[in-house]
Amino acid sequence: MSLPAGIRNYTYAEDMAIFRTKTHWFFLIALLLVLFTAPFWFGNHWLSIANRIGITIIAVTGLNILTGYCGQLSIGHAGFMAVGAYTSAVLVGRLDLPFIVGLLGAGVLAGLIGIIFGMPSLRVKGFYLAITTIAAQFIIIWVIEHWTSVTGPNGIMDVSPASFGGIVLKTITSEFYLILGITIIAIFAVKNLARTRIGRAFVAIRDNDLAAEVMGVNLFRYKLTAFFIGCFFAGIAGSLLAHTSRAISPDYFQFKDSILFIGMIIIGGLGTTIGPILGVVFIRLLDELVTQLSPTLQNAFPDLLPGFTSGIAPMLFGLVIVLFLIFEPRGLAHRWQLFKAAYRYWPFSY
Amino acid sequence: MAELLQYVITGVSLGMVYALIALGFVLIWKSSSVANLALGQIVLISSWFAYGMLAQAGLPPWLGIPLVIVFALALGWVIERFTLRPLIGQPILSLIAVTLGLAYFFEGLVGIIWPKSLASLPPLFPQDPVHIGTAVIKQEFLWAAVIALVLFGLLSLFFRYHKSGIAMRATADDQMAVQACGIPVTRIFSQSWMFACVIAAIGGILISSIGNISKAPLVETGLQAFSVVILGGLDSFVGCMVAGPIIGLAETIGGGYLTKLTWEGIKEVIPFVIIIIVMIIRPYGLFGERRIERI
Repeated sequence: MSLPAGIRNYTYAEDMAIFRTKTHWFFLIALLLVLFTAPFWFGNHWLSIANRIGITIIAVTGLNILTGYCGQLSIGHAGFMAVGAYTSAVLVGRLDLPFIVGLLGAGVLAGLIGIIFGMPSLRVKGFYLAITTIAAQFIIIWVIEHWTSVTGPNGIMDVSPASFGGIVLKTITSEFYLILGITIIAIFAVKNLARTRIGRAFVAIRDNDLAAEVMGVNLFRYKLTAFFIGCFFAGIAGSLLAHTSRAISPDYFQFKDSILFIGMIIIGGLGTTIGPILGVVFIRLLDELVTQLSPTLQNAFPDLLPGFTSGIAPMLFGLVIVLFLIFEPRGLAHRWQLFKAAYRYWPFSY
Repeated sequence: MAELLQYVITGVSLGMVYALIALGFVLIWKSSSVANLALGQIVLISSWFAYGMLAQAGLPPWLGIPLVIVFALALGWVIERFTLRPLIGQPILSLIAVTLGLAYFFEGLVGIIWPKSLASLPPLFPQDPVHIGTAVIKQEFLWAAVIALVLFGLLSLFFRYHKSGIAMRATADDQMAVQACGIPVTRIFSQSWMFACVIAAIGGILISSIGNISKAPLVETGLQAFSVVILGGLDSFVGCMVAGPIIGLAETIGGGYLTKLTWEGIKEVIPFVIIIIVMIIRPYGLFGERRIERI
């Protein structure tokens, strides 16, 4: 299914290769070329959208490990992202540590906080876990808003741009390359993680935790590992967001963002590598389309209600999530698989 | 001491309303095992609808409030029929996510129709404050508590004696057996959603007659209702009625006394802290069925 007809694997290395055929390599190289030359033909506006997409992909990829692979629902991912953002801002801005320390520190601290709030997952699941992570989201944001000696008035903080050694990444183009690099590393890491013992243990826990335990998967360790890895990615994404937007406030990490992250993995496809990418791109482009179109619509139809511009985006997101759940619960990733299969066997689809 | 009495009375009455809204959650959970995370948004949209009827259209309460209830019935039916029924038998993740999608949808819808950030219902209850001992209480609090108690009593009678109430409890107990007895399970689901929405709408009207109608506090009411159900036990009506006042008291007393000791706004996170504590100590809540499930 995943290989075209007539391609056989003769060695273990061939069997394990992610990019197997010449076509794979061709498309990979073409995609990378397009991405790395993007600053030359994207305008600044689209480049900033691309940056946001990249950051969100990192966060959602983390959520996908936790929810998609390990089956532990987390509706507080924006909260964990906030932990990362503020950790990095404090480490770099207040303690004058290098950016790379801030980035990794953000990931590690977000992961540790994730472990703390993931503890109840050892006793509860499903709805209980969902509520626990919602509580985590609100407690984290509340602490950030009120711990003003560390986070500044109302949690609003200025953040210095990212830098490596003496090189300061000030322009949007350099930020784009930074985010692109980390996104590629993240996706590659998750793709491989999913094929290791850890990834397979996660899937076993998702599908049947009792059976997994009987087969020797240590639930305690693996669930907390999933929380750590998922929140580590969120922390990295938060740190990137902080250093590229130069100022952070708790408003960047709202509860509705957490819901939207869940929506993104559902739209993309749970438990697939490509799912988070497709889901994030889909939602962000929809968002952009709505922002571009709604003033025009408002002008064209003056009878529209005055709240149309602000309300239409959340309404559409909600609708898209519900429709995907009802009509295509396996997400865009499954559609993409179907398309590839149809393309390979064309014109003899049987 | 004067403040303590004040806190107790307002806390218990607020808690009653939370308990009422939480009852809607328990109802759906018991009959169809769906966790309705859009509860706060249903409270929100029906409060705004009440505003539309009573303030914008200027209808008198005897006409406006029944219209709100009809609206809530329709809302419950539509939600169940078009989003939950196609998902029967799907994993719990999908069921939770679909209510989250609904939550998003309703917030957007409210934003489109009522772009104002703040509004208030015309006064439904007498306005003079009541003096109880040393405390001065707004009458709305007492009315809210009384109405919540009366509704709770009516609902318990309904579940005890009415035919469809008994059918609902039976569905909660064993869906297969109920179907074998010729009771259409899907209709029961539909009814429980309609009931839950009506309860949420009444709760919304009570809450917004105490305070104002604005987005954040009403959505938070839903979150408070979650802490009520977690504390009381997901499948227990009595648990709701006991846990509601506890959460309400924790909010007013904790908010009143702890604010001086800690940061401002401690009130907002108390329900969530309670959730975390309950999760660690006693995940099935005070009155919930103690299911032995190894994880």
